[in-house]
Amino acid sequence: MPPPRRAESGHKKTTVHSQRRVAITGMGAITALGHTATATWAAMREGRSGIGPIENIETDQLNVKIAAEVRGFDPAAHIDAKRLPLLDRVSQFALIAAREAVAQSGLDFRSDGRGERSACLVGSGIGGENSHNEQSRRFFAEKNPRMHPLTIIRVMANAPACHIGIEFGLSGPTFAVVSACASANHAMSQAADMIRSGKVDFAVTGGSEACVTVTVMKAWEAMRVTADDTCRPFCKQRRGMVLGEGAGIFVFEEWEHAKARGATILAEFAGSGMTADAADMVFPAEVTVARAMQNALADGGLNPEDIGYINAHGTATPANDPTETKAIRRTFGTHADALAVSSTKSMHGHALGAAGALEMVAAIGALRHGILPPTMNFLDPDPACDLDYVPNAAREKAVRAVLSNSFAFGGLNSVVALKKAD
Amino acid sequence: MSQVQDTVFAIIAKEANIDASKVTLDSTLKDLEITSLDAVQIIFEIEDHYKITMPDRDPNFDTNSVRGLVEAVEKLVAEKAAGDAPAAQG
Repeated sequence: MPPPRRAESGHKKTTVHSQRRVAITGMGAITALGHTATATWAAMREGRSGIGPIENIETDQLNVKIAAEVRGFDPAAHIDAKRLPLLDRVSQFALIAAREAVAQSGLDFRSDGRGERSACLVGSGIGGENSHNEQSRRFFAEKNPRMHPLTIIRVMANAPACHIGIEFGLSGPTFAVVSACASANHAMSQAADMIRSGKVDFAVTGGSEACVTVTVMKAWEAMRVTADDTCRPFCKQRRGMVLGEGAGIFVFEEWEHAKARGATILAEFAGSGMTADAADMVFPAEVTVARAMQNALADGGLNPEDIGYINAHGTATPANDPTETKAIRRTFGTHADALAVSSTKSMHGHALGAAGALEMVAAIGALRHGILPPTMNFLDPDPACDLDYVPNAAREKAVRAVLSNSFAFGGLNSVVALKKAD
Repeated sequence: MSQVQDTVFAIIAKEANIDASKVTLDSTLKDLEITSLDAVQIIFEIEDHYKITMPDRDPNFDTNSVRGLVEAVEKLVAEKAAGDAPAAQG
């Protein structure tokens, strides 16, 4: 493996290309579209939506009764009875996705000291919300004075990362990244930077969220940004976001190590761009959103013309979609009209802190298979959203490099750039 | 000025941190420089005060203007009073 090269810091905006590159060698997911990354991608390319009537929680107090839930999921089929009480739904999702990713990578982290050279960084916007909700209900509504003794370790936002680490023996840097809807992209960007810098050689990273609870649904309703029909990103009739849940977990590996062992490289994590609007807690700012995309291109050594597809943040809110559109135009100039842009949230919903990880499945699929997943539920164009959104059906088109955007409340922007594995 | 109007004006002034004298029936939330985050707080305070649920992007309600807000609240309060009347006797 080449030695790590540290980036020079300075006031001048310079692009430093680390010699060390990052290969993605494992992918796992559990979503409203399926319980594996394979099933999730298959649904995306077919344009199947996982949005539907809520089944897993009581809906009598909800005005919005739809979500993209993980359905038909029996945790006991995956996790043994002794261990299961330790895991909130958010950790169950993370662990199941991680198993798929690690199995695909073919890596044994318990041999050759790999675990010590591995990071485990998992994003979550909320953490163990189901456990928190349930214990609060018992305590306040039922006046039950006893809290379950595992409440703390179920609720803490770092639990998903820790359960993955324990399962696979990952004993390097392990923590959660919490930045609302940008959590997963921030986590994966951090993981890639750790490999590039030489701090670690491997990372198991992504995001997990289990946010479809009565109180979270009500809190989103109160913000008046959730749709009650379905999620229709970028179109005129869009009425807002639809909550989703699930996890996406990936194995990142130092490029030469992956090559040397003959691993299948799903894609190259080329670079990332992270900015903050530092302006408004909810209203996005075009210039800093664009700068996150520009920084991702620069960090990945990519020109705007190299990008063939963008997996958009595309929440279908009145504010996001036109701002993201303008930011894409600002970043790409005339090439914006040659780009395909889609929001797969129209299928897997908005899984908040897991969003970027679910969308990484789409981005990798586009690169590997030359199929661009669609923006479903698209009716009429909105003049304020004037890009090619791949409406309603997937499209065959070979692409060499892609961006995946995640933007969060608080004004946080995290963009990742992927390249086709050569 | 109806009592509902009074209350809605007061809530708008408080949540948006503006002088109540600036609020008129003819103002739009935009005129008053009320951000989307202030607007959802105003709606929450109105809902919580009257124990009603304001419509969300219902084309029959104009909640972007003060007049529209007041009319929507008056309608919902009247509907609630009609609906609650028998229960109130029990």
